[in-house]
Order: sequence, then structure tokens, then C-alpha cells
Amino acid sequence: MEINDTISYVLITGVVASLLFVVAGVALIFANNGSNGFTLGEIANGHVVVGQSMFSAAEISQGIFALQGADFVLLGLIVLIATPVVRVLMSVLVFAYERNRLYAAITLIVFVDLMVAVFIVPGLLAH
Amino acid sequence: MLFILYFVALLLAGFLAGIVGAMSGLGGGVVVIPALTLLFGVPLEYAAGASLIATIATSSGAASAYVKDRLANIKIGMSLEVATTLGAIAGALLAAYIYTHGISSYLFVLFGVILLLMLYPTFAAYERHRRSRMHKDWSTSFFQLSGSYYDEAEGKAIRYSGYRWWLGEAVMGVAGLVSGLLGIGSGVLKVIGMDWGMKLPIKVTTSTSDFMIGVTAAAGSAVYWALGYIQPFVTAPVVIGILLGAYLGSKMLQRTGSRSVRLLFLLLLGIIGIEMLLRGLGVA
Repeated sequence: MEINDTISYVLITGVVASLLFVVAGVALIFANNGSNGFTLGEIANGHVVVGQSMFSAAEISQGIFALQGADFVLLGLIVLIATPVVRVLMSVLVFAYERNRLYAAITLIVFVDLMVAVFIVPGLLAH
Repeated sequence: MLFILYFVALLLAGFLAGIVGAMSGLGGGVVVIPALTLLFGVPLEYAAGASLIATIATSSGAASAYVKDRLANIKIGMSLEVATTLGAIAGALLAAYIYTHGISSYLFVLFGVILLLMLYPTFAAYERHRRSRMHKDWSTSFFQLSGSYYDEAEGKAIRYSGYRWWLGEAVMGVAGLVSGLLGIGSGVLKVIGMDWGMKLPIKVTTSTSDFMIGVTAAAGSAVYWALGYIQPFVTAPVVIGILLGAYLGSKMLQRTGSRSVRLLFLLLLGIIGIEMLLRGLGVA
């Protein structure tokens, strides 16, 4: 499989999975008239009563099994954010497999940059 | 009933943002931030959080089609992402200093002026009708910057080469720095870097920019996620609308003539330039 097809496949999979979680989450919020103990009115408030900071990773994973709509939406968003990261990782692997050393190195640098941005920078900013 | 209307209105705003964002290479944030803050009264930081997610959605939604159809150039995109991600990290680390020392308004003015100055070369390229060709330089072959795509609007295959990779890379470094420092999408500088800097065809430029912006936004999203500026009910309809709009926009770009695409970018360049200038001057 050519690199374009591999990357396109990764992106489509991420987009569809994310879309399914977000749509399911919205359906659950409307069906239950709210989510995670908040009413629909509170969740839909544009001036923001419910922020994502109220939802930890552990809470999201529990909320999925409890069919809480907001947790489904946030899981969909996590999948969406992870998609470009996965596509960079896949390009490293495909370029390495194709023995394109220059581009295997370039994509590896981008992947390392992303890992630093996601896992190290937020910690540095907290201090 | 009221909430369903609110939801549908946000979804339509996202849909429009997806079409415009996918065709121009700027991502959905350009439409999402003003729509959410001005029309729906969402606080700016939550609108910015939704915009960051919107940018990733536009990128993945549009690029899945662009990459498959060989319109976006993966090698050009990936080699330029080295500078955008490094720039974004540097920008995020410097942002606190910039804001505590009151330098951010000067940066908005500077950024706005630079964008408005770029109106002339972009307009000149629009008037010229034809893409300017240069002599291949060392970077064209070393970084494997040649490619071809089938242009549906012209009904033929277009072969192209990229030049002056170092100039594109330098503009991308600034693009990443600006996005990290000011918390705004930098798709506009990515398009300038590839169009003005590397002389790539405009449709290759906007589609490759779409391919790239998801990675820059993912780099920035960790900070926003940690700060908690992502509201599920506001973000959900925007994301659904954008994913659908970006897919439609990616199909529309293929059938749109290069001059029309450049005209769309020219228009957005002017609007964003003025918006940044006003923000720096404290008017908006």
C-alpha cells in the first residue's frame, strides 16, 4: 500500500470513529435530558457552566459505561486530537519500510516534537 | 426545542466553517471564533478551545480526501511540519512572558501588518494568471519536492515542483511561533510559505496546508485540554458540522479553478490582516 493510501486510511478511520462517538454523545444528552448530573439547560448554556476540566480521564472511562453523553463527546474529541498524532507515527513507519531514510528521520523529528508538546510542555507551563 | 435550534445553528456554523476552511487551507477556526463569540455569545477562551478542535477536524476531514487524491503533498507537508511544531513549542513556552510584559498587542499589530503587506504579492500572482516558474534549486531534488495531481477543473494532470524549501521552512517556523504565542491558527502563514515562498500551485498549497494544520493544532491542544477550555455541548455540533463541511469543501476545491481559490484566499487574507491589526490596537 502506498503512503498516501495508508495516511488517508488512518485519517478516515479517526474521523469516522470520532464522529460516531460525538453523535452518540449528543443523542444521549438529548435522550437523557442532560448528562453527568447536569440538566440539558446547564450543558447547553453558551456562557459555560459545564467545562471540560470537570471531566478527568478516569471519569470519562467510567462515564462511557454509564452511558453519560458528555463523556462520549469528550472521548470523540480525544480520538479526533489523537488522529494527527497517529498519522505522523504511521508515516515514520511507512517511510522506514520504504527505506526513505531522509523522510523517516524528518517524520521521526515531527513525532518527537509532538510528544514534547503534548506531554512535557503543559507541565513546564504549570510552574 | 430551544436547545435543538441552538444545536442546529451551531452545526450549520460548523458546516460553513468546514467548507471555507477546507478550500482555503486555513482551517475552520477562521469562521468558528467570530461566529461563536459574536453570534452565540460564547466566552473567547471557550471559543478558542472549540476553534482548536475545529482546526483538527477540518484538517483530518479534508486531508483524508486530499491525500487519497494526491492533491496534498505528504513530503512537502511533513518536511515543513518540523519547523511548525518546533515553532509552536517555542511559542507556547514564551507566551507567558509575552503576556506579562504586554508585548502581545505589538505582536498582533506586527502580524496584521505583515499579512496586509502580503496582499500585494498574492494579488500580483492572481493577476498574472499563470504560476511563475523558477529554476530548480538543490532543495527541489534533495527534499523530493516534485509531484503531480489531476486537476478536475482543468481536466488534465498538472506536474509541479517546489523551490526554496529553506524559505518555506523559515515561514513555517514563524507560523508555528505565532500560533503558540498568540493562540491563533496559523494556516494563513502556511499558505503564504508554500504559495509565495515555494511557488507551489495554489490548490496543492491549500490542501497541503489543511494536511499540516492538524499536527500544529494537536501540538497546541494539550495546553488547552489541561486548562479545560473545551465545552462538550458547544464543541460537539461544531465538530459534526465541520467534518461534513470539510468533506464537501475538499470535493469542491477539486472542481474549482485555481484563480477562484486564490481569490478566496486573498479575501480571507485581507479580513484576517485587518482583524489582527484591530485586535493589536485594542479596537476588537
